[in-house]
Amino acid sequence: MNRVFKALSDPTRRRVLQLLRERPMTAGELSDHFDVSKPTMSAHFSVLQEAGLIEAEKSGRSIVYRLKMSVLEEALLGFAQTFGWEMKAIEASRPTGSRGSRQRPLKGEA
Amino acid sequence: MTAAATPVSRYLAPLLLGVSAALAAGNWYVQPDRARSWAAALLFLACLAVVSWFTLRRWSSAAASRDMAGYIRNGVVFGALMMAVPLSVKLAHALGAIDDAELSQRLTMVILGAFFVSTGNAIPKMLTPLSVMRCDGARMQAVQRFTGWSWVLTGLAYAIAWLALPVDLAEPVSVATLLGGTVVVAMQMVRVHRRRREA
Repeated sequence: MNRVFKALSDPTRRRVLQLLRERPMTAGELSDHFDVSKPTMSAHFSVLQEAGLIEAEKSGRSIVYRLKMSVLEEALLGFAQTFGWEMKAIEASRPTGSRGSRQRPLKGEA
Repeated sequence: MTAAATPVSRYLAPLLLGVSAALAAGNWYVQPDRARSWAAALLFLACLAVVSWFTLRRWSSAAASRDMAGYIRNGVVFGALMMAVPLSVKLAHALGAIDDAELSQRLTMVILGAFFVSTGNAIPKMLTPLSVMRCDGARMQAVQRFTGWSWVLTGLAYAIAWLALPVDLAEPVSVATLLGGTVVVAMQMVRVHRRRREA
């Protein structure tokens, strides 16, 4: 459950889940929506996978991600989105340098 | 959050089955005039235990079917809970500890509602590999999400009806809720099937 909360606490990961609500997407398609580096995106994908919110499936040379959220997890996502829920306490306790990627704007939202 | 096997559900299923059997035996001792009912309850519990033991022994061994074993285990937990709660209320009523004769029925139905909620909650998590899927992945995902939400809301309405309404009213309302939920899900399935044929 902690992993789910951790995964939902980040706006980029929430946006990934929102995009996957529409249809399964490849890693490249998802990355195109964000202004972050590929390693950062991979880290986000692995956090979501660890939390059991998405599933990866190899299709040819690309990896297709799709949603694997229960109804309760989806309700939590809606909740997190509505109230802009972020783990501020955890963020505040981190060293300043490690917060960089989270602050970057999403493509089209800058 | 999912129905996957957890240590708690692993021990909870046999524990609840044992408790239910003990409660049925206790009821039999206190009310020997209704021996048939208690014997039927014990027989049902024995069947549940045997079937789940054989199924889980076979399915828990393969890594791919561990999730399915978890779903079965959760089903057994709900089944045993649905037996344990009314049996304990009946026993308490027979011993004079509880005065409310309707409580047993109400609690059983609330647990049934919780079972619908739990089943609906897990539906969007049951994924078919894209490589073996015969229809569009996006459509399948939409259907699973819709079915999950419908079933969760149906279960909630069912449980709330049994918690809040008088028994005479709760019966038709809960049945109507269940039928409504089933019809909505069936209509969605038909719509998707039609679209697939048209495409």
